[in-house]
Amino acid sequence: MNHSPSARAFAYLLLAPAVLYVLFIVAYPLVDTVILSFTDAALKPETNWVGWKNYQKIFKANFDDVILRTFIWTFCSVALKMTIGVLGAVLLNAAVPGQTLFRILIMPPWIIPMAIGIFMWGWMYNGQFGMISGLLQNFGLSDGPIAFLGYGKTAFWATIVTDVWIGVPFVTLYMLATIQTIPKDLYEAAWTDGAGRFYRFRRITLPMIVPSLLTMSMLSLIFTFNSFDIIWILTRGGPSGQTTTMIIDTYKSGIGSYKYGEGSARAVMICLFLSVFCLAYYRLISRLNPVEAR
Amino acid sequence: MKPTTILKAGTALAVLTMPGLASAEDQAITFISCGDRVSAVHEALFPKWEEANPGYKIEVEAVGWDQCQEKATTLAAAGTPVGLAYMGSRVLKQLAQNDLIVPIPMSADEQATYFPFVVSTVTTDGQQWGVPVAFSTKSLYWNKDLFAAAGLDPEKPPATWEEEIAAAKAIKEKTGTAGFGVVAKTFDNTMHQFLHWVYTNNGTVIDADGNITFNSPENLEALTALRDITAYAEEGPTAYEQNEVRAIFLDGKLGMIHASVGAKNLLKDAPFNWGVAPLPLGPHAQGPGTLLITDSLAVFKGTGVEDKAIDFAKFLASTENQPVYEAAEGLTPLRPGPAVDKLVADDPNWKPFIDGISFGGPEPLFLDYKGLQDTMITMVQSVVTGAAEPAAALEQAAAALEEFK
Repeated sequence: MNHSPSARAFAYLLLAPAVLYVLFIVAYPLVDTVILSFTDAALKPETNWVGWKNYQKIFKANFDDVILRTFIWTFCSVALKMTIGVLGAVLLNAAVPGQTLFRILIMPPWIIPMAIGIFMWGWMYNGQFGMISGLLQNFGLSDGPIAFLGYGKTAFWATIVTDVWIGVPFVTLYMLATIQTIPKDLYEAAWTDGAGRFYRFRRITLPMIVPSLLTMSMLSLIFTFNSFDIIWILTRGGPSGQTTTMIIDTYKSGIGSYKYGEGSARAVMICLFLSVFCLAYYRLISRLNPVEAR
Repeated sequence: MKPTTILKAGTALAVLTMPGLASAEDQAITFISCGDRVSAVHEALFPKWEEANPGYKIEVEAVGWDQCQEKATTLAAAGTPVGLAYMGSRVLKQLAQNDLIVPIPMSADEQATYFPFVVSTVTTDGQQWGVPVAFSTKSLYWNKDLFAAAGLDPEKPPATWEEEIAAAKAIKEKTGTAGFGVVAKTFDNTMHQFLHWVYTNNGTVIDADGNITFNSPENLEALTALRDITAYAEEGPTAYEQNEVRAIFLDGKLGMIHASVGAKNLLKDAPFNWGVAPLPLGPHAQGPGTLLITDSLAVFKGTGVEDKAIDFAKFLASTENQPVYEAAEGLTPLRPGPAVDKLVADDPNWKPFIDGISFGGPEPLFLDYKGLQDTMITMVQSVVTGAAEPAAALEQAAAALEEFK
């Protein structure tokens, strides 16, 4: 269809506020961060161009360990969220009495303000006063208090568990909505043919929810990779840096130590990884739903 | 007089006496005060200073402790500084060397009013950069009931590290309760708690010329003692910061802790007997020591009202006003004097907090304070978790500190 120049100009005019908004909110800070990452910007008034020095410096400082830890943390958390979320959605979709009540009961982790939920977990993990340590001792599973946040491995998993707790309701609801779109007659036909529950799940439910599952996994991956609040409130990246992920490391450097240049270099690295995830997400969407991606 | 004239005259009078309009020409001195509220003592002093300094108005903002220093520093770095702010003295060197604050000249007479070493907590390169306004020292608290249960004399607190470790061991082995509260979470007070050991053994971190003196026999003894007492401490000390350890002590589940005067107030209703004594001393100690932490009023550069801000800061912390503020907030006094003598006479538990000042040491002033802090925390955590030997951890930390001084 051909449009007159004035019609095209009018279309651009309508788009202009959105374009300006994106330029101001996204593009400007992004470009500024990239520029800062090549400087020694800090508290001092003058700023000097330092080339790749910040990038060289962060990779000398065991940054590869931090990257690896971030990927493991993210992968474990997303895998658990997706597994529990899908299982929860299947269970909530079952025709059982009190179905609505169960659906409401999964919401609190999502509804409770995140910081409050994290503090609550912090207390549960406390070795001296915490519920988990207390229960383990009461059931004879532990001889004494266990400070879950006091050891690298337990602290690492404790932060993952908290992230999963917060993230599962969203995954569950999303997957539940997807499951409910599967035509009932498929199940009825399979049931008539004598297919069992697990067989119906494996051969009908799972293939039908794969597109949503992949989409949700990618989105969850992006959110989780950038997860800051949970680790910061529970451990501040400790003990001995065992829960320091890229975002924590960036905050400590950029904001905590006022090394804006170095912090920006770390932020750019995060941005690069997230860009790869976003690209993968976009390609996935393109393959699954070419119309939506266009 | 006509009613309309009366109305006009009344309106004019009301407009002229409106505070906002009457002070429209006033120059504002913005003040960031850390905490959930502005101290009532300070608030009452604002109008007094304003009265003595016509044309200036104090505009105060209370900012929570977590964001307070970051906010003041970031505003200054962005070129929109506040007049003055309540800052931990530890960051003064960083602010000074980045040209964000102005020096605050302090005469010899002024300096002489303070307890020893207090002025050194705000001094770098021979100049003072803040007006000390809050002071904290630490002492040893012990649970007398646990001492008795462990067969120790409940009225005799440990005076040396050796006795302290032995007491912790006895409590742990004979009562099953942790003997000592080790603070080792990824938190600033992990460094503070380690510095108690350093300053009770005549140790130092950096000298007046800026040389790192951290890798010393005194500090190795301190780190080794901390490692040794960890065996009798609460399980998983890297999970606990200072206030969390204090909570365990208040619950009667720790034999001893190092804590500030605040714990004394919280222990008033404790269901066990307790005492407070000077921090136990290491083999190289020359006298009672403690970590001296001060907070200061720092005056930021570029506001155009620096001189008045300095005057205001000194007014708040003057010999007349400061003791009232300290009494209201329960702070360790910054200056000796009759008020301190009375404080100790009324409550002898104050004595160890004052005595420790004699050989105390400041929070080291570094250009990158967070770098110092992270290095210290990493060192302590590696030692208390058994991941590193004290000598190796100390050597590594001392080398790392060179980058941050």
